[in-house]
Amino acid sequence: MKQGVFLQANLAVAVLVAGLALAILPLALEGQTGSDSRVFYDVREEITLSGTVSAVLIRPAPGMIAGSHLLLTTVSGTVDASLGRWGLQGKGALSVMPGQAVEVIGIMKTLQGKVVLVVRTVKVGDKVHAIRNQYGIPVSPQARQRLAEKGESQ
Amino acid sequence: MNREGHVVIPIVLVSLASVFWTSCGSSSPKTVSTTAKMSATGGSGQTVKAGGKFEKPLSVTVTSNGSPLGGLAVTFTAPSSGASGTFVNGNATETDITDSNGVTTSSAFTANKTAGSYTVTAAAAAGASTPASFNLTNQAASTANYSFYVSGLEAICGAGNYAGNYYALAGSVTIDSSGNVVSGEQDYNDAFGCTSPEPSGDTITGGALTVDGTGQGTLTLVTNNSNLGVSGTETLGVQFVNTGHAMIIQFDASATSSGSMDMQTLPSTLSGGYAFTLSGVDSIYYPVARGGVFSISGDTFSNGVFDENDGGTVTTGTPFSGTLSTPDSFGRGTITGTGMANTIVYYIVGPEAIRIINVDPTTSAVGSAFGQGTSTFTNASLEPSVFSFQANNHGVLLGLLGMFTVPSLGTFQGVADYVEDGVISGSGFNISGNYSISNTVGGVPYNGYGNLTITSPRTPPNVVPMAPDVTTMGVYLADPNLNLNDPNNAAGGGGALVLELDPYLAGSMGVLTPQTDTATASFAGNYAFGAQDYYIGDPGSEFDFVGQGPVGSGNLSGVGLVNDPFCFFVEVTMGIYSDVPFSGTLTPDPLNVGRYTIPLNVTAGGSTVPFQVIVYQASGGQLFWIDEEPYGSAYPNDQIIMDQFSGSLQRQGWPAGLPAAIGSGGKTPATRKH
Repeated sequence: MKQGVFLQANLAVAVLVAGLALAILPLALEGQTGSDSRVFYDVREEITLSGTVSAVLIRPAPGMIAGSHLLLTTVSGTVDASLGRWGLQGKGALSVMPGQAVEVIGIMKTLQGKVVLVVRTVKVGDKVHAIRNQYGIPVSPQARQRLAEKGESQ
Repeated sequence: MNREGHVVIPIVLVSLASVFWTSCGSSSPKTVSTTAKMSATGGSGQTVKAGGKFEKPLSVTVTSNGSPLGGLAVTFTAPSSGASGTFVNGNATETDITDSNGVTTSSAFTANKTAGSYTVTAAAAAGASTPASFNLTNQAASTANYSFYVSGLEAICGAGNYAGNYYALAGSVTIDSSGNVVSGEQDYNDAFGCTSPEPSGDTITGGALTVDGTGQGTLTLVTNNSNLGVSGTETLGVQFVNTGHAMIIQFDASATSSGSMDMQTLPSTLSGGYAFTLSGVDSIYYPVARGGVFSISGDTFSNGVFDENDGGTVTTGTPFSGTLSTPDSFGRGTITGTGMANTIVYYIVGPEAIRIINVDPTTSAVGSAFGQGTSTFTNASLEPSVFSFQANNHGVLLGLLGMFTVPSLGTFQGVADYVEDGVISGSGFNISGNYSISNTVGGVPYNGYGNLTITSPRTPPNVVPMAPDVTTMGVYLADPNLNLNDPNNAAGGGGALVLELDPYLAGSMGVLTPQTDTATASFAGNYAFGAQDYYIGDPGSEFDFVGQGPVGSGNLSGVGLVNDPFCFFVEVTMGIYSDVPFSGTLTPDPLNVGRYTIPLNVTAGGSTVPFQVIVYQASGGQLFWIDEEPYGSAYPNDQIIMDQFSGSLQRQGWPAGLPAAIGSGGKTPATRKH
């Protein structure tokens, strides 16, 4: 239900996507992790976000954290969604095009002074792609294969 | 006895079997019809170490009625099995023609690796003669056994499509005094299909250790497993610190990794308490690391307890026991029943040091266990130390290095540098917290089993807030008489193995090294150095290096080996680089004595990368470094987003007595393209 909370809440958070000249729009956020957190990824703070892919970045734009990214257009604005080291790399990697609708689960964090959605899963159509595990550890191509063999999305 | 010149054998050559030069100048041997003598006039009575080349070739003089008999075909024949040797043609036989003086000389003759005495014969090709004989001896070469282990990323076994498989390799190799690899065993495990057959492991059947005068070179290992290395042959880059210890990397196109090679004391009896850590991947291929303590008595593991960070799931204080098999002649045995893996293979370095590798087919890990001696550890056992962590290449890419003092028992304070996925979360930031040693689990006290918690604010001003991820470590104390980086070195003062217990940092482990000398003046001399660099790129994410060079007047100038199978230095070009220059100027941190910064320029494949490196000094003999690249730095390969490395510098003792062929090993550039 966090998606609903997310969409209905009216907490203003600026999301800056540096170098891409995209709009800085207020976002309503639930459970954003503060810098005092001692856990990098806390599933209790997860949000579910639906949007449309506006850009697929295999490499980060200047100012973004390392790894690949999706830029998502949501009802609340543009969101920088981090896919980590292997989200778009290797066998079984997420394949998505601008214009596609996706549903992502992750947590909002402020890293390097910028707000980013640290993505755990991306759902495209009926398929759920594991990007990180429940502790935020990136899912490698090898781990994707093992998870698939076990019939798990994560 | 040197029989040279004394072996004279009369021979009678029948007319059709003897030869001489024809008047038309043909070089074809011809027959003679006379009585002749064949004498071994050079090369008999020699001794050489097995596998070595005899100093002199074999010479025969043939006379007929006192006159030289030229143009005669003479065949030298060495035994076809057992102690023997080969000529330059690679065969045990060779045919040569006598000159006008009746003399013929073989090509250089090289002993095989079997010790013993034998006879090489020289006979006329016509066969109607009593051969001359050369008595030769292959002397048993003195040998030394080394245990080695590495972990890193492989470029084989389908890894090209998978961003590099994790792999671990451990083994033992016997090397003779000429540098020949006589024999050995190893266990390789990528948990992804390329593993050694168990329970036997792989057999090492040959190879060579070749180093230059600085202790730098290569060790080739010819194995019976064609799936590994390059068609079954693995090449390691070696940098000897001293005769008993080398920093090593895999140095071929199949994989890159870092580790250690250490002279073995065999046989050795394992007994008493041990501390251990090992890191690798679990059955999902998530990073996993474990650490703890245990005791060995006979074939029994007992009183064990371990902590685990498995893909972020942290479990502490799990009791365990197990069974230890009797080691073979290479010091290899198995550990079963621990609950950490079905089978762990161990290789003995000495009575207080073993390398351990998980050999299960779908999980992999490698690490070490060190003896605890007779110590009963308390909070007073933890001394001012340098701590150094190494990331797991399938986990979060962290670099964590620092030092601390113990202002009061159970508390620490110090300074650290921390890099996480390319972001410098803290550079020389203050840390403090508390620790506890020899903790009790379920009412049972475990000697040397402890933990350490950082409680200070870990977000220094104006620094990105990711350092909070580091809070908790497992600490497992070792014998104060051991050097954990060089277990054959009596200097070192013990320390502890440490394990990252924060979920996000699964797979990371390191060492705590007593800090005994922070004087800049002590940081001088010749140093061996090495590091394992992780980066985010495509397709892989690791390169490794070892090197050597002097530190003096604040400058480091060295030469090393770099294995770069995933194209860090040059885009789309994998490189196995020798003669790589390393240079930089050390600047001591005036606020934190024992900490230095050094922009380290490394040039490989024509590309120079100015790594921003931090050094922490445990003593003049042991230092540690990490690369602290500002995020967003430019790289020669613009596919690279970030990198960081972790490693050490170890002051060299002259590798006198090294069982290696001293030559130009490791100095041949070999660069290949995809």
